[in-house]
Amino acid sequence: MAKERPPKGLKGWAQGRSLWILQFCTGCGAVELPPVMTSRYDMERFGITPMATPRQADLLLITGYLTVKTLKRVIRSYEQMGEPKYVIGFGSCTVNGGMYWDSYNTIKRLDLYLPVDLYIAGCMPRPEAIIEAFNRLIEGIKQGKFNGWIRYKENLRWYKRNQAMIMDIRKWSIDKKLAEEVWREVQEERRKIFEQATVPHVYEYAERISEVG
Amino acid sequence: MTGQILWAIFMPILVIIIGLIYMGLARKITARIHNRYGPPFYQNIIDVIKLFSKKDVANHGVMFSLGPVIAVAGMVISLLFIPIGNRPLLSFNGDIIVLLYLLVIAPLGMALGVGEGANPNGAIGIARALTLMLGYEVVLVIAAVAVMIHAGSASFMEIIRQQQGGVAHWFIWPLFLSALATDIALQAILGEKPFDQPIAPHEIASGPMVEYGGKFLGMLQIYHAIAIIVETGIFVNLFLGGGSLVWWFVKSFAVFFVALLINAVMPRFRIGQAFKFYWTYPAAIGLVGLIIVAIT
Amino acid sequence: MMELEKEQAVVNLVKEAFEDAEADVQRARRVRIKIAPNRVFPLVAFLKANGFNHFVTITAVDWIKDGEIELIYHLWSYTRKVHVMVKTRIPRDGGKMPTLKPLFNQAETYERDVHEFFGVYFEGNEKLDRDFILEDWDGPPPMRKDFDTRRFAAEFYGQEDIESDLLKLKIQPYKGKLMQ
Repeated sequence: MAKERPPKGLKGWAQGRSLWILQFCTGCGAVELPPVMTSRYDMERFGITPMATPRQADLLLITGYLTVKTLKRVIRSYEQMGEPKYVIGFGSCTVNGGMYWDSYNTIKRLDLYLPVDLYIAGCMPRPEAIIEAFNRLIEGIKQGKFNGWIRYKENLRWYKRNQAMIMDIRKWSIDKKLAEEVWREVQEERRKIFEQATVPHVYEYAERISEVG
Repeated sequence: MTGQILWAIFMPILVIIIGLIYMGLARKITARIHNRYGPPFYQNIIDVIKLFSKKDVANHGVMFSLGPVIAVAGMVISLLFIPIGNRPLLSFNGDIIVLLYLLVIAPLGMALGVGEGANPNGAIGIARALTLMLGYEVVLVIAAVAVMIHAGSASFMEIIRQQQGGVAHWFIWPLFLSALATDIALQAILGEKPFDQPIAPHEIASGPMVEYGGKFLGMLQIYHAIAIIVETGIFVNLFLGGGSLVWWFVKSFAVFFVALLINAVMPRFRIGQAFKFYWTYPAAIGLVGLIIVAIT
Repeated sequence: MMELEKEQAVVNLVKEAFEDAEADVQRARRVRIKIAPNRVFPLVAFLKANGFNHFVTITAVDWIKDGEIELIYHLWSYTRKVHVMVKTRIPRDGGKMPTLKPLFNQAETYERDVHEFFGVYFEGNEKLDRDFILEDWDGPPPMRKDFDTRRFAAEFYGQEDIESDLLKLKIQPYKGKLMQ
């Protein structure tokens, strides 16, 4: 079987010029989107329109931090989208956790769980940065550069393993058999981390913080 | 005869392209009203190319994939009954009545497809679409009957023939109340605000289209493109006197433009309010128009 | 003081009915009441009967050195315009509280919240064992002080670099005067 490639030529051009987005409005990025849509910046110039359901959308916007609970729904939505599909991560929260870097229930690197095509740096990125990112994405799609969904399919087991480390993927994946298998694999590791989560010493934090200065 | 067959093949393609451009212009004009720049006028053609080049997303069964096909087929058949630019294809005495029946095929096809998709949002959307249809069909039929009585005929070609000879001969003047009622009904037939309850994206996630993506959604875009021409075409033929090909499309766009302007600045009714509205004001206006026609 | 009249009225009311309660005025519109765990239910019922019909929330504090968890029930009265905090302490390990669901229905949800984050057991709350916010959580309650959040986050989400980077930075404390 021939290796799947991102669309080029007329298909690629049409795909780039008509990106329908699914905004997953978590975190503060949701507030940056209305200016991008309305008269000041107007993303409809480039054919980018918000869509109501994942079935119709091409582009998934993760607009900020994701808790584990939200990530489950994001993965569900992503797996329902039609190929070709693209993902943009907004802000530092999707890059390395941002201000939630030491939180017990937000993910740190979105890349581990979903194939991100483009990151927008900032906390939060300004609408100008978002428009810039859209333009780069459009140019890249026209040239067939972005291939996130192909990466996801080829490395599905790796992605599923990362997902299973933090959540019960059996309910939230379309491929039930793989999910069951991977879930059983990671049980031991999960249990160990949960067991080691309690520290006996009360003042460890204070000491560590004074070390930092 | 050969000319007619060629026209029957060529005309739907022309109508699809023009309908898609209408939709693109609609987005552009709405954007200008919102003080935005807006997409290019050919944006919807790009959208359709993209949708057809996408891989299939989800298929819930035979009826699910047949639904959009039935919708498009029903619309194309309705289109063949409408004389565009004085070129009748399936015209005979009584074609208005047949057309009023055929217009129901498309929503029913959608209902079958959505039923197999089994998405609650889609089911709500279809229920709203059929309820709304019950509302505006009454108004449309009352107005159409008024026109038929006035012209003494139930044939589009005969009605167009009687309106020849300048703006003063158009039926919109003697049948102003019926035309007004039809135009209000048209707002719902076109699915524009304040009567876009069936596809309310903010409430029920675009209603009947909720499970459709890729090629299916492309078919639905084409369906919508044809539907705009058919629905505005009814108004043009009944009240604005048809006309040559270019002139016909200009009139049709003018009708669409009015609906568009209302759409751009209006919020949405609840379905109950919309239904009640149709059975009170436009129906009353249409009935008064009908009585006036019957008396004179 | 004249302006704390309505707060003092609440304190007197509580002290009359509950002799074992320690009640005082924290500041304008704030009253604190400390009471034993088994007396919380009658006290809240008494307050409810005296106009405190808005049950705001339940919060908890982990006093790890004392080996106790402090539960704080917040109530507000629209007629008296006073916010009452009913404080009680239960043992950290194996401490139990009677549920307040018979008095206020919303207490059920707040109790589930406190149960998930602090591991407090509320007797009589039937939905306590269902997942509420933390789905698929197998570890200790994360808001307890002995839960090592940083280490857990680093191990669980595969993010080991940030903390060590921060420690490597060796930020010098500012020695000068910040303000005159």
